[in-house]
Amino acid sequence: MTASVLVPTVVSPEVVSLYIPAIFTGLLVGLIGLLAISYQKNDLHALILTDIVSLGMLILVAAVGTDLAEALILPGLVVELAEILAISEILMSREMRKMDKTVELIPLPLSFNMEILDTAPTFLAIILIIYGAFLSGFTGGAIAGGGILFYVLSKMTRGVPSNTWEGVAGASAIAWCLWIVGFLIFFVAPSYWLLALFLAAFGIFIKVAFKVGLIGVIGREEFKKDKE
Amino acid sequence: MDLSTLGGQFLGTIPLGDIVLYLTTFNLFMFGAALVFTAIIAMSRTESQVEAEFGTLNEREKKVSKDEFKIRRFLSIVCGLATAGAMITGDLFNFTLFVCLIGIVNIGIVAAVKEVDVLDSAFQYGIIAMIATLPLFGGAASILATTGTISLLELVNIPTSAFMLFSSILLFIGVAGESGVAPFFATKAEMFRTAGSPFLVIIHLSSLLVIVRIIEILLIINKPFGI
Repeated sequence: MTASVLVPTVVSPEVVSLYIPAIFTGLLVGLIGLLAISYQKNDLHALILTDIVSLGMLILVAAVGTDLAEALILPGLVVELAEILAISEILMSREMRKMDKTVELIPLPLSFNMEILDTAPTFLAIILIIYGAFLSGFTGGAIAGGGILFYVLSKMTRGVPSNTWEGVAGASAIAWCLWIVGFLIFFVAPSYWLLALFLAAFGIFIKVAFKVGLIGVIGREEFKKDKE
Repeated sequence: MDLSTLGGQFLGTIPLGDIVLYLTTFNLFMFGAALVFTAIIAMSRTESQVEAEFGTLNEREKKVSKDEFKIRRFLSIVCGLATAGAMITGDLFNFTLFVCLIGIVNIGIVAAVKEVDVLDSAFQYGIIAMIATLPLFGGAASILATTGTISLLELVNIPTSAFMLFSSILLFIGVAGESGVAPFFATKAEMFRTAGSPFLVIIHLSSLLVIVRIIEILLIINKPFGI
């Protein structure tokens, strides 16, 4: 293949020569997936087998092996997940219409009854949130989110007001906008990089931390069940 | 083939760091058209279907409930914006992402309908759209591998190799599957057979506009009539 692109000399020729086999592997994985789908008549199995085809797509993107390709894998993966979620939602709603029944989103009875869940959560959650705010960024968001999740899950037995968590989910979305604004400043006015960095860092911190609010909203069905 | 030969006048670029948007009259017109259609659809209400019953003088009216109406309107606005983005973008990978977003949102628009047949065809369309991500992203990634760039402004100056032709074929198969045109149209045509017309129209419109745009992109990449 006549690759007109400039490959740096530090990259060994073995790595470069792996590209064509990787492309064939990806296409082969896709073909195997397609063959399996053509034999399969069950809809659910077809949906799961489609995931194999998407894995072939990830191989094709990953075969490029540059920094840019690494940045492109993430959107590819997100698209794949979003599509499989959307299609499985279609499948579920179709089966519900056929059978004329509805089911809960997460049919999971939560009934912890431990003394530690009454005494510890506030303290632990505060420590985790402060430590997360100190870290900032995605990691900090995950840690602070863990604190909030722990608080919610342990208070769930006593009943948390559900509309509070709807507000928290809204704040998460607004914080996400801050993150996007931070990225935009990086592109439009690179001289304000410090402001952009902090907007992005704390935007994603608040967003990831409050994402737990969505779990709270989903868990609302469980609160209702507990009250009855 | 030159950018201005394809797109009328070359009006300039918008440099945003690595991502450089380029503006031609063709691009701007398509972008504006997508936005105008989105605005019209955002303001419109759904029509209600009236079906005549066989053998009697009665008729049946199908209406879209208020919750479903809100979700559909939101998703069709997203679909319109994604179409507009796919028209104006100067980056091959962003284009593929916008096309995928259109595919996902198309499934979402019909997700809440009550007809089992429509849901069935939406499921089939979703399977095809998901399979189509392999050639779509694969084509874009192998163009990146052979040329080292995914900016259309750079791609227009790079001479075509055989591998780029192969990648473009992959890319076209991907877009055809994702927007549900000719060989895959059977699944998508059934999706329209439900109430709630103006929001269903955007499904159709987005695939039409995307096909026009992918032809421009393929001409930019492959330069069939020489540089």
